[in-house]
Amino acid sequence: MYLGYVVDKELLKKDPHFKMGCVLCHKGNAEEIKKEEAHKGVVKKPSDNLRTCMICHKQITDNYAKSLHYTTAGQRTGVMPRFSKDELKTFDEKVFEKSCRSCHASCGDCHVKGAPVSGISIGLVAKHKFVKKDEGKTCAFCHGGRVYPEYVGEYGGAPDVHYQKGMLCMDCHKKEEFHGDGKAYKTKNEVKQRPACKNCHKQGNEAKLTAQIAHREHEGKVTCYGCHSGAAYRNCNDCHGGHSAANPGMMLGKNPRDKKTLTTLRLIPTVRDTFAPAGIKMENFDALPNYWDTPAHNIRKRTDRTRNCDTCHVDRKNFLTKEMLIKNGSKANESLIVVPKPINK
Amino acid sequence: MKKLQIWKALLVFLLILLPAAVMAQISGPIVSVGDLEKNLTNPKVVVLDVRKVEEYKAGHIPSAVNAAYGSWAIKKGDLLNELPPIDDLAEIIGSAGINKDSMVVIIGKTDKVPDQFDMTRVAWTLKYLGVPNVAILSGGQNQWVKENKPLSQDMVKAKAKSFKPSITDKLFVNKAYVMDNLGKAKIIDTRGPAFYEGKEKLAFVPKSGRIKGAVNLPVGALYTPEGLYKDKATLTALAQKAAGSDPAKEIILYCDTGKTCTSWALILTDMLGYKNVKIYDGSTMEWLADPAAPSEP
Repeated sequence: MYLGYVVDKELLKKDPHFKMGCVLCHKGNAEEIKKEEAHKGVVKKPSDNLRTCMICHKQITDNYAKSLHYTTAGQRTGVMPRFSKDELKTFDEKVFEKSCRSCHASCGDCHVKGAPVSGISIGLVAKHKFVKKDEGKTCAFCHGGRVYPEYVGEYGGAPDVHYQKGMLCMDCHKKEEFHGDGKAYKTKNEVKQRPACKNCHKQGNEAKLTAQIAHREHEGKVTCYGCHSGAAYRNCNDCHGGHSAANPGMMLGKNPRDKKTLTTLRLIPTVRDTFAPAGIKMENFDALPNYWDTPAHNIRKRTDRTRNCDTCHVDRKNFLTKEMLIKNGSKANESLIVVPKPINK
Repeated sequence: MKKLQIWKALLVFLLILLPAAVMAQISGPIVSVGDLEKNLTNPKVVVLDVRKVEEYKAGHIPSAVNAAYGSWAIKKGDLLNELPPIDDLAEIIGSAGINKDSMVVIIGKTDKVPDQFDMTRVAWTLKYLGVPNVAILSGGQNQWVKENKPLSQDMVKAKAKSFKPSITDKLFVNKAYVMDNLGKAKIIDTRGPAFYEGKEKLAFVPKSGRIKGAVNLPVGALYTPEGLYKDKATLTALAQKAAGSDPAKEIILYCDTGKTCTSWALILTDMLGYKNVKIYDGSTMEWLADPAAPSEP
């Protein structure tokens, strides 16, 4: 019997998901009149168990079960070189399964409601509407801390030029990135189906000669973000140390994954005592830096660096320096510092 | 036979002229839903939707192009709602298919009163860059929807034009200019009375108070409870009380960030005929952070 508590009545008629009744996904007993009896065995979030969606969407759920959005393997891969063998075992038991993995997205988190972020849930999308894609609501719930505000210009500076031209998340990020391609990757860096500036912007097609020269001179030395990130982005300080603070900033330095290139760096939230509550000291903490290459989502055609070479080559604006490094940070941080040379005119 | 030819010629003349006459009704600074609807196919009219891309894609006025508000005003240092680089603005304007002869009608949302000012700030920015004919839709997108007018979900791509800005000097002025003109120009604080009187302040404003000698003309007084602009007679009376009735008098408006005050600037200039209206872009965020800048109470 429809009482109009949650689901929009019009949706019941339109959406095939509802034609099979609530019980198929939510269990319980639709024949019972009394709430207590009807709700016995009710499953609040049916898609937490992928088998629910698998009934009709087998291929997608098979892929999704191995995808990084579901496994959250990237979080483990990113931090594991800091641990000894024993520490990794403790991490897997006490932290990864209980904390990191709790953050994985179920089907419903993107297609029916927003995933709870920091324990805060905004509830159902449009009264239990199943949405195919709704980036502003679904992507932004989980990626609303830094990516989305940077992209739409709510974190200072102008919006990303792609947003300015009407592009949303899925205009660059294809569905294989969300649902997976059937392979279980350890980190997003292994995934081939990722957006790259050069997919659309071919070198040599620039309208202006100055842009052609600049691109040719910096090829293989500076990433696109290095020049075209338009404004300060969010950096995470002390998050897991109990003093959550996110500061704006832009830092340029060597890419820890490819030290031949200069790129935008972001301070990530793993500090020395991050896992101390779980009894993990991180014996190899200094194996990895605290600053990592970041694809800042605030791309602009023109920035202070593209307008004037002196911004980098004379003023050294935004370049990571020894004085800027976080206190008690990783010894690997210093290896990312770059001192730009003046241009020989 | 000759009489019939004259009648035919007259009919053709009327058929050409009639739509033009209907279209000609549109002018700034405030446009009604009905007038905009009649002008959607007018080649001179550019309907500019400044809502977020997601909101635009969910449903917009047919023929409206999108250029979200965030591209028109940015954070610079500690100050909010500042002008982006001029070449960036010129590119946005050109991409939207706007040139100096365009009649630009700006659409925004009006869920809350502060939403109104996205439209007016963009309008003032366009005027600053040399697009004189700008208007805003009274009640914005909300009113269009409320009146059950058609919506489109297609992304409209305008035929881009090369836009060369010609800056209309001093529509935006800086702190030094305001300082030099204290006691000479009429300084108008467009915030709510509690803010003007120093009883309240927003978190991002360094301290409470106002520019010394400023008079109050709150932006909230512009609108009916339905979010539409009040009639000209009412607005004239309100404006004259604060700004006086000399249309040549120099007037400098400010608020907290240089955004909300653009609403009165647009009305004073384009509806009520004041000839010398300026915006102090830094507003209280900048003025009240400077101990040397005279303030009260």
